[in-house]
Amino acid sequence: MSALLQIEDLRVTFNTRYGPVTALDSVSLSVNAGETLGVVGESGCGKSITALSVMGLIPSPPGKIAGGAIRLAGEDLTQASEARMRALRGAEMAMIFQEPMTSLNPVFTVGDQIAEAIMLHQKVSADQAFRDAVALLDRVGIPSPDRRARDYPHQLSGGMRQRVMIAMAVSCRPRVLIADEPTTALDVTVQAQIFDLLNEIQRDFGAAIILITHDMGAISEMADRVAVMYAGRVIEQGRADDVLDLPQHPYTRGLISCIPALGKGEDTLREIPGVVPPLHMLGAGCAFADRCAHRAPRCDSEKPLLQAHGHHPVACHAVAEGRI
Amino acid sequence: MTEATEFKAESPAREAWRMFRRNIPAVAGVIMLTGIVLATLWGTFFYGGNPYEIVWAPHEPPGVTPEFPLGTDYLGRDIFAGLVAGGGPTLAVGAAAAAITMVIGVSLGALAGFYGGWVDNLLMRITEFFQVLPTLLFAMVLVTLFSPTLFTIAMAIGVVSWPQTARLTRAEVMKIKELEYVTAARAIGARNRRIIWTVILPNAAPPLIVSATLTIGVAILFEAGLSFLGLGDPNTMSWGLMIGSNRAYILDAWWPVTFPGLAIFLTVFSVSLIGDGLNDAFNPKLRER
Amino acid sequence: MTTLLDVRDLTVQFALPRQGFFGPRPMLEAVRQVSFSLEQGRALGIVGESGSGKTTTAMATIRLVEAAGGQVMFQGEDLLQLDDEAMRQRRRDVQLIFQDPYSSLNPRARVADIVREPMDLMEIGTPEERRARVTELFRLVGLRPDQLNLFPHQFSGGQRQRISIARALTTNPKLLVCDEPVSALDVAIQAQILNLLARLKAELGLSYLFISHDLGVVRHVCDDVAVMYLGKIVEMAPRDALFDAPQHPYTQALLSAAPSLARRKSRGYVRPVKISGDPPSPINPPKGCAFADRCPKAQDVCRKVQPVLEPIGPSRVACHFPG
Repeated sequence: MSALLQIEDLRVTFNTRYGPVTALDSVSLSVNAGETLGVVGESGCGKSITALSVMGLIPSPPGKIAGGAIRLAGEDLTQASEARMRALRGAEMAMIFQEPMTSLNPVFTVGDQIAEAIMLHQKVSADQAFRDAVALLDRVGIPSPDRRARDYPHQLSGGMRQRVMIAMAVSCRPRVLIADEPTTALDVTVQAQIFDLLNEIQRDFGAAIILITHDMGAISEMADRVAVMYAGRVIEQGRADDVLDLPQHPYTRGLISCIPALGKGEDTLREIPGVVPPLHMLGAGCAFADRCAHRAPRCDSEKPLLQAHGHHPVACHAVAEGRI
Repeated sequence: MTEATEFKAESPAREAWRMFRRNIPAVAGVIMLTGIVLATLWGTFFYGGNPYEIVWAPHEPPGVTPEFPLGTDYLGRDIFAGLVAGGGPTLAVGAAAAAITMVIGVSLGALAGFYGGWVDNLLMRITEFFQVLPTLLFAMVLVTLFSPTLFTIAMAIGVVSWPQTARLTRAEVMKIKELEYVTAARAIGARNRRIIWTVILPNAAPPLIVSATLTIGVAILFEAGLSFLGLGDPNTMSWGLMIGSNRAYILDAWWPVTFPGLAIFLTVFSVSLIGDGLNDAFNPKLRER
Repeated sequence: MTTLLDVRDLTVQFALPRQGFFGPRPMLEAVRQVSFSLEQGRALGIVGESGSGKTTTAMATIRLVEAAGGQVMFQGEDLLQLDDEAMRQRRRDVQLIFQDPYSSLNPRARVADIVREPMDLMEIGTPEERRARVTELFRLVGLRPDQLNLFPHQFSGGQRQRISIARALTTNPKLLVCDEPVSALDVAIQAQILNLLARLKAELGLSYLFISHDLGVVRHVCDDVAVMYLGKIVEMAPRDALFDAPQHPYTQALLSAAPSLARRKSRGYVRPVKISGDPPSPINPPKGCAFADRCPKAQDVCRKVQPVLEPIGPSRVACHFPG
């Protein structure tokens, strides 16, 4: 059985002042209905570009999908027309963004905006759509929803705005929900509420969720499976427990051990030295080699491929050769 | 931690210059303006005609007598000599007026924007007062009250055109003073004066430089307007004066007003090209392209 | 141990726009009678969510925001009573690191000048000594001397934060206020900066007033922790006491909300303490406990009587029903 959403060997390039750079390279991911895939990495690793590619929202130019396929229930989205993508966006797949204030239109009430989203994809009257919008606001836990539906975005708190975004995103019961750093702009207690809400919605609707985050803690609480990205490639992928408990790639190991823990920890955090290399300066070898303690000559000359090792696939020469 | 090494230490100003150089219209503006300035500075050495002297029959058309390539005016004075001699004063008035505008506008705008509160209220009411005055009329009053010398004309233009600069400066200063590097300067014990002059204003400079450039053009037009109305300095040749004194005969002879008009147009046009080029060079949104 | 900083009843108010033409100007109390003290060589963390007043508290402590009342005793001298020039001189002892490494450095200055500027302002040393000190500071924070002449935009976020730290250390301060110093950085870079701050504290005997919303970061850096909610400290305790036995329901909620690797979806993790809603507005704070509306334990008394900080074991807690 193939997955609900399957990304195969996706390659995305951008034209920049340094010439064309490869923002995504041989990215393969999949997510099933009712499952949460966590995509984790530092800024610039390509996790947001992956999300935008699925939604068909890569700014083009300068960006373009240069190869690979994105299959939603078998249909290749990279080949779909813009009209077809518009029909799919919002209905079959929806996205929640990081900053709810800028994703909502300030001059319309939130109820009208949700109703608008409903009417784009369903043949219902404006009254019915507004009633549905109020019901959705109730569903995402907004108190006194019929009054709140008549509020403008600036009258709501950040947490409430993100709930509105979620209400809008799930208004047509999409099969795939992409959440791109949905809680980065929010406080921790509100973040916890949003995470709990996303889990509830998944139980109700059976949606596949792709959670994009830089926070390993969020992955641990939310994800069934994890893909770790670095410099435009997936470098490790597997069940959340396997990746978090038995990380294989030196980068994943570093990422996990450099988080200051809530429980008693060591006095010095493990560091990953250096910074992520800019995409236009990637060489022929492994993008992580410069920062890696297990670097060997092969790491500089040959890009490691994602291949099964132990519990789950990893892209590292040192692991493949049994050096770690 | 190595990615900074591949850059040379390129200052923001140098970066802006690099962007500016790539802008062909702006570079054309620089070349044109340089040509005009050089011609007015040294033109008199090469072309020694006296612009006030009656040298030929009046209203000699251009291109007829080789000695007077642009013809003569209603008194029989050499128009080309007038253009060469009048350029200097015209440009000087423009530059001086722009400088006065910037000094008044930037100082008041910076004080209002930085201190806020009653200082801001007071200075902005004054600014509004000057802004609602009809500028040309007010300048005319000032020039008639004092004797119309180049200096008073420049002053008059400066006094009527600073409010826009003040508003622009105030808006920029208010935006920048909220940024953390300004708080950082306070945290290390910098005094207000130092914060305004060495931290805020350099960062506010790009739009102000653009505005100053455009002000030069506006001031040149202003001077021409005053001279055209007969309120210029009658003892100093300027392009505006040439147009003003010949305007009565425009139906008999087109050339005595057209050539100084063309000179003004080219100067203001090249200044505008430079201003637009600076605007693009300083605009970070265009940098990545 | 000597007390470096002793803050008593610090209050900060902001004026809001007038209601109507002749109406009074309503005041927003961002910080309400906050008291804490900091020992030499220790780090006090102030934790809270947005709007809790944690940053305003820190800024008022070093007089970058005007306080409406209270005392800030720094080495026995009330900073709030100093005149402008005396405070300016005092700034060499109290320094600041900002959250955003992109906006806290003047984009038009070279980084060597940025780091040297405090010495210029305080007229410390000869030009050669200042130059040598800048180079020394660069090494101390892990930058290379050949980067001295670059401009801020030529550095990464982590490097800029190192520059910011170098600038703060220039005058050998005793107190360093760190306002969310790592929250704008990626985790891998965050670890580098946290380790640097820990090393500097040990090597230079610095004291930190450390503002953060991230409990993991605070646990790592701080010796004592104060939790703020709507302008007040609701719990203050030594680090281990606070993390192992939080007393205030809000502290408990914060700890249970913070994502952690120990909590797994696969193992059916469900949050033990759930709170709903957002903090109330500081414009019109509730009469009783500010947390009452969101608190699972709230009783009638919580809505009527404002709890005060009272000792419970090593902690001090402002709650009618702690534990």
